[in-house]
Amino acid sequence: MVSNDVVIAVKGLNKWYADFQALKEIDLDVMKGEQIVICGPSGSGKSTLIRCINRLESFQEGSIRVEGVADQNDLLTLRRTVGMVFQQFNLFPHLTVLRNCTLALTRARGLEKAAAEDVALSLLDRVRIREQALKYPGQLSGGQQQRVAIARALCMSPKAMLFDEPTSSLDPEMIKEVLDVMADLASDGMTMICVTHEMGFARRVADRVIFMDQGRIVEAAKPDIFFEAPRNARTRAFLHQIL
Amino acid sequence: MAFDLPFLLQILKAIFQAMPLTLAIALVSCAGAFLLGFAFEILRRVNRPLGLLMRLIIDFIRSTPLLVQIYFFYYVLPYYGVVLPGVVVGGMALSIYYSGYLAEVFKAGIDTIPAGQSEAALALGLAPMDVTFRVIAPQMLRNIAAPMGNYFVSILKSTPYLAVIGVAEMMGMTLEIASSTFRYAEPMLLLGIVFFILAATMAWCVRRLEVRLMQSSKR
Amino acid sequence: MSFFDIFRGILEGMDVTLTVTFMGLCFAIPFGLVAGILQHFLKGASRASVTMIIEFWRSTPVLVLMFMFYYSLPTVGIYLSATLVAASTLGLHVGAYGSQSVRAALQALDRGQVEAGFALGLRRPAILWTIELPQMVRAMLPTFVNQLIQLVKGTSLVALITMSDMTHRAKEISQLTFDPPAIYSALLLAYFILLYPITIFGRWLERKVGQGSGKLMEDHGRGV
Repeated sequence: MVSNDVVIAVKGLNKWYADFQALKEIDLDVMKGEQIVICGPSGSGKSTLIRCINRLESFQEGSIRVEGVADQNDLLTLRRTVGMVFQQFNLFPHLTVLRNCTLALTRARGLEKAAAEDVALSLLDRVRIREQALKYPGQLSGGQQQRVAIARALCMSPKAMLFDEPTSSLDPEMIKEVLDVMADLASDGMTMICVTHEMGFARRVADRVIFMDQGRIVEAAKPDIFFEAPRNARTRAFLHQIL
Repeated sequence: MAFDLPFLLQILKAIFQAMPLTLAIALVSCAGAFLLGFAFEILRRVNRPLGLLMRLIIDFIRSTPLLVQIYFFYYVLPYYGVVLPGVVVGGMALSIYYSGYLAEVFKAGIDTIPAGQSEAALALGLAPMDVTFRVIAPQMLRNIAAPMGNYFVSILKSTPYLAVIGVAEMMGMTLEIASSTFRYAEPMLLLGIVFFILAATMAWCVRRLEVRLMQSSKR
Repeated sequence: MSFFDIFRGILEGMDVTLTVTFMGLCFAIPFGLVAGILQHFLKGASRASVTMIIEFWRSTPVLVLMFMFYYSLPTVGIYLSATLVAASTLGLHVGAYGSQSVRAALQALDRGQVEAGFALGLRRPAILWTIELPQMVRAMLPTFVNQLIQLVKGTSLVALITMSDMTHRAKEISQLTFDPPAIYSALLLAYFILLYPITIFGRWLERKVGQGSGKLMEDHGRGV
């Protein structure tokens, strides 16, 4: 299902935190409908990379283009075009699940309340949590909260989704429900970049797996090649550690 | 407001003359409020009836204005033959008023110490006194240093109340000059500036202390 | 005069006490909110000047502030009623304290909340209005109630600039009858009756909000 249209184009990206270079010469094209999994040791720059894509982080050199956004400096349009799911869910604790989902629709898209709730409910349905719509985030389990966060991002009908270690703060028994929702999303053809250490998920879902270390993309390959015959020694060492 | 340097200097001189007394009142009241507040909090934990009584007393202290408490002691005690100088009555009133707040600070400080601490101390066979003063109190002091410091600044800022019962602290001294010359604006302005500098300096010290304590508890 | 007569006489000053309180709130709430928010968002020199203003109102004793404005304003040609001077100085003093809890609440809010708002494509003002402020209000309610109590107690100072509040009424009555124990007990009682319910309410709120935020921390703390 991967087409030749580039949705996200990263070229020559360099980022520094003061003296520390967090990203070095990153080049990455993400095609429409493609699912990319990024892995790597902590501090390798993988989260920084996807946070640069929707400009939660700024960068000093290079460019990131998101297809369909005419002016890349228009942060609001850019962020409304790319959805993001965080490690810590970041649901708004003072709002119901439903309101968490409709907030951006009414405030940013200007939808009527009823129309926004229709959209939100259908997406909550899709992540199989519609019956919890009127509860508050604090009343849900971690896995349920993360599924709400996914629905919240989907409400804006994003062209691509960014996942920043979506299962890292979940109890083991809840990881599957979140990964299943993500796999569904992938099979529906959503363009996704996913930072995760869930290698089973990568094998099953990813079109490409990327390994990052010390701010560089060290290896990028189809999952079967990536896992069976990684070319780089550091990739091998990393896979050996976590598999 | 014409600029009148000799007059300003006269006021400043009076304010600085009264500063030692002001600081002394604040210091003594801090100590009084600390001891009384700690006593309240310990008594509150003895048993339930006493706890409820202490709580009512603390709430009463906190629910009435300092000015009214000062008036109460100043006018009622002599009625029963207890005639004390204004500065003593004032220091007493400040101590009592702020003890109500410090008791709450102590409470929060004790409540945030995990129950395991006193359990572990008791399990080691320490006497209740030792549990209180060797295990709980030192940890509590670190927890409460910052809020307590802020109340000490508040006590300093409350010393002007004593002027209403004729104590010649900085405010009283200033008012004396003001009423004898019928010029209020400049004296009050100068007094405000002096108090602002004093209180802001003290508040800054409390913040420094807070930062240092935070660092030391991180280790 | 019986204790009851004295008490009733004191209550005649209640309307002044309440008027100054309500007018004071009209100064305290906007000032506290705006100053706290500005202090959180501004940087450099503009932040320093906001801090200076807050510190002026916070660090100068309120009695000195009140006398300062009551006596200085006329000398520069500004004639305000005693009520307005009292309400504004008390209000701004209390509001300056409040601004610090506004700022603290903004800082305490999980950084992820703002990021999630950005990631959804909300504008900064919308994030402040729909995400940060509602969560802050909850956390700040107990502080608000405590500041309200401070404000009501502070109104007793207006007696010193000759306004006829409850405290002033007590002094007037003491000119008529020599019975300090009854007069000042009645005065203490009057304030206690007015403020004790608020004190209890504030404590209840504190427990409630404390529990809520504890739960929040638990959820956020998981697996970190």
